[in-house]
Amino acid sequence: MTDDAIVRVRGLTTVLNGKTIFDSLDLDIPRGKVTAIMGPSGTGKTTLLKHITGQMRGDAGSVELDGLNVPELSREKLFELRERIGYLFQNSALLTDFDVFENVAFPLRQHTKLPEELIRNIVLNKLQAVGLRGAARLMPTELSGGMARRVALARAIVFDPALILYDEPFVGLDPIALNQVLLLIRTLNETLGITSVLVAHELAAVQKVADHVYLIANGKVVAQGDPATLANDGSPWTAQFFGGEADGPVPFQYPAGDYASALGFPGGKA
Amino acid sequence: MSSRNDNVVVRSLAQIGACGLFLLTILAAIPRSFRHGRETVRQIWFVGAMSLTIVMTCGLFVGMVLGLQLYDVLSIFGGTSATGTVVAIAIYRELGPVVTALLFAGRAGTSVTAEIGLMRATDQLDAMEMMAVDPIAYVAAPRFLAGVVALPLLGLVFCAMGVFGGHLVGVTWLGIDNGTFWSNMTATVDIHKDIVNGVLLKSFAFGIVVSLIAVFQGYTTPPTSEGVAYATTRTVVASSIAILALDFVLTSFLI
Repeated sequence: MTDDAIVRVRGLTTVLNGKTIFDSLDLDIPRGKVTAIMGPSGTGKTTLLKHITGQMRGDAGSVELDGLNVPELSREKLFELRERIGYLFQNSALLTDFDVFENVAFPLRQHTKLPEELIRNIVLNKLQAVGLRGAARLMPTELSGGMARRVALARAIVFDPALILYDEPFVGLDPIALNQVLLLIRTLNETLGITSVLVAHELAAVQKVADHVYLIANGKVVAQGDPATLANDGSPWTAQFFGGEADGPVPFQYPAGDYASALGFPGGKA
Repeated sequence: MSSRNDNVVVRSLAQIGACGLFLLTILAAIPRSFRHGRETVRQIWFVGAMSLTIVMTCGLFVGMVLGLQLYDVLSIFGGTSATGTVVAIAIYRELGPVVTALLFAGRAGTSVTAEIGLMRATDQLDAMEMMAVDPIAYVAAPRFLAGVVALPLLGLVFCAMGVFGGHLVGVTWLGIDNGTFWSNMTATVDIHKDIVNGVLLKSFAFGIVVSLIAVFQGYTTPPTSEGVAYATTRTVVASSIAILALDFVLTSFLI
C-alpha cells in the first residue's frame, strides 16, 4: 500500500510543552482511498493533520505530500500546496461575515479572476453536491451544525482538491446528518477520486466509510488495517479502544505522582 | 515579590517587542492587502463612519463645556473676547486629537479586538490559512490601515464640532460678539502649528498606535471567551496609556 502514497510520514517526532506527541511516527496515506486516523483523545490526531498541512512543524522527521517535504516549504510554496488541499474544521470555521454562497465563493474570489457567472455556477454546483443550494443566502448563524459542516465541505471542495482532511466530521451530528456527511465523504471519494483522511472516534461510522484505519497511541501507530479486521485483531490497544474499556493500555489516570504522598500519608513514595 | 515585579516588567517588555514585530509584519503585508481594497474600504466605514455619532456628540459637549469654563474665568479679567481663541487652541492642540483617540480606542479598537479574537477562537483565521489566504493581509492590515486613515478625519470632525460647541455657548448663549469670536480665533490659530501638527499629525500617530494595539491584541488572544474579554480590556488600557504618553512626547517636540 506504500507504492502510491499521497502522504508519507517518516520518523516524525514532536514534543509540545514537554509532552511527546509523536515518537518517530511512520505512516502512509494511500492515494484515492479513505483513511481514518483513530486514537484516544489527546493523542495528536488533529496535530497530525496540522503537520500534513504545514500549520505545525515537528522537531524531527519528514512529512511528504505529493513528494514535497512540507516542513521545508516556504510560505509561498505552502500556500500553493494548500490550494490543492481541502480541510474541514471540526467547528466548520465558516466566515461569519458572509452568507453561505459567499463562504463557498471565498477561495475562488481570492485566488482567481473568474467571471461572476462562472463563480456562481461553480458555487451552486458545489452547494448542490452537498444538498444546500437552497440555503445559499442563509447566514452561518442560521445553519444547524450538520448544515454548517456541509457548507464547509462545499467550500473545501470548491477547487476540486487532490486531498481532503476531515477533522472530527461526525462530532455532534444527529444520525441523519451523520449519515449525510458519511455519504458525502464516500461519494466525493468515488466520483472525484479525492483522497480523504478523517480523524474520528465513531467506530460504526468509520467502518462504513474508511478503506484503511490507523490507530495511534503514545505517539506511534499501534495498529492498522481495514476497519472490519482491525476491530477484531486481538491486540490490547484495539480491544480497549474499540471495546470502549475505561482502563487498559491507555490508562484511566493521567500520569501523576504517588497518591499516598499526595494525600500526605506517611510511607508514601517520595 | 521582587521576582513577580520582574516578571511583570519582562512580560510587558516582551509584549511591546512582540507588538513591534507584529507592526513590521503588517507593514510588509500592506502591499498584498491592496488586493483586498474593498475590505479596507469596508473597515474604514466600520471604524470611521460608524464612530461619527459618538465623536460628534462628544466634540460638541467638550467645546460647550470649555466655552462655559473659559467665559467664567476670562470674565474675571474682562477678557471674554478671547474665549473663541482659547477654545480653538485647546481643542486643536490637545483635546481634539487626544479625546478622539480615546473615544476611538473605546468604540472601534475594542470591536476590532473582539472581532479578530472571535475569528481566532472560531478557527476562521486558521481556515483562511488553509485556503491559502494570508490573514495578516486580509484581516489585520485592512483594519490597521482603516484606523490610520479614519482617526485623523474623525479628529477634524471632533475639532469642528468642538469649536461649534464653544460658539454655541460663548456667542449664542453668553453674548460674546460673533465677529470678535471668529476674528480673534482666525488671527491666533496657525494652520501649520495647530491644525497640521496639532490635529492631523497627532491623530495620525494615535491612529497607528491604537489600531496596532487593537489588531495585535485580537490576533494574539488565547482562543477562549475569557481570552477575548481580557484582550478587549487590554486594548482600552494599553491604548489609553499609549495615547497620553505619546501625546506628551509629541507635544514636547512640536511645541
